[in-house]
Amino acid sequence: MIMHIDKIHLLGAIFSFVILAAVFVLVRERHLKEKYSLVWFLIGLFILVMSIFEGLIDWFGDLIGVYYAPSAFFALLIACAYLLLLNMSVSISHLKTHNKALTQELGLTKLRLEELEKKVNGSADD
Amino acid sequence: MENGKTLIVIPAYNEQNNILGVIGDIRANLPDADILVVNDCSVDATAKMARQAAGVQVVDLPCNLGIGGAVQTGFKYARDRGYDYMVQIDGDGQHLPREVSKLAAAMAATGSDMVIGSRFLDVRSFRTSWQRRIGINIFRRLFRMLLGLTITDGTSGFRLYNRRSIEVLARFYPSDYPEPDAIVLLHKHGLAIAEVGVAMRARESGHSSITALKSPYYMAKVTLSIILSCSRTRW
Repeated sequence: MIMHIDKIHLLGAIFSFVILAAVFVLVRERHLKEKYSLVWFLIGLFILVMSIFEGLIDWFGDLIGVYYAPSAFFALLIACAYLLLLNMSVSISHLKTHNKALTQELGLTKLRLEELEKKVNGSADD
Repeated sequence: MENGKTLIVIPAYNEQNNILGVIGDIRANLPDADILVVNDCSVDATAKMARQAAGVQVVDLPCNLGIGGAVQTGFKYARDRGYDYMVQIDGDGQHLPREVSKLAAAMAATGSDMVIGSRFLDVRSFRTSWQRRIGINIFRRLFRMLLGLTITDGTSGFRLYNRRSIEVLARFYPSDYPEPDAIVLLHKHGLAIAEVGVAMRARESGHSSITALKSPYYMAKVTLSIILSCSRTRW
């Protein structure tokens, strides 16, 4: 029983290190913006802390009145995942808005360019 | 509309078979108006066909934005080039250019900032599916309840806008299914909206963007955005 718990905690610690290292590398290589990395660092740290301090999950389970402590942990993680997804939807919405404005502006600018080219070519012929 | 520059905006997506007919029809009925075709990244020869018509401006959008994004491009064009009026006439030939004079007369008579061409105010009413009728009725009640306005055809895109409407909608215009939402938007900006009965034609070719599968989504999305727009206090 003790061995089993130790294993899962070890796995959790390894997993959190992988997350933290991956986020670190992604930010350094400019694949991930610092702004978005913050929340991932926090999640990595959260899992790390949870796996190092074994009593934390039980304490948290007691706190919110859940008898089976690990399910409290899952509930917490799912809540975090939801918030993260909401955050992503907001980011995508912003991107869509910007993308739409840029697309329109590009279309209108191309038209202006066409007009200008016509005008320049026209006056060159005179 | 007698004194002032008028722009006709034709949003077009894959309308190579209709576009020249629509342009010709506009030329015949509204010789003084400028025409802008917004080609919403069509995969057919819509842009090429439109450019064959002399004096027509064509904007090619590099990505497909949908009807809202395409029409808003028209609002931006009209705003930037100082147009006093703008009319949306769809590229599928559903809207009749000869009916624009009715919109203009209604605008002059009521002093409103936007006039909607309604299929349901006129005797020779446009035949539409019962599903669409239910949807339009729900919107009618919503407008009544939330805005205190009587709008019989909130989904009609056949509209005349004046300068004030153009300036508002160039800044804010919903991306998809924009027509009902735009009513709320203008109303919240303190602009006046009127309706006038017009005739419309059944489409010549192509399909409605609202299919049976999409209509529940359409209703939900539009209802939600109407309510949200109403609750918005900051623009």
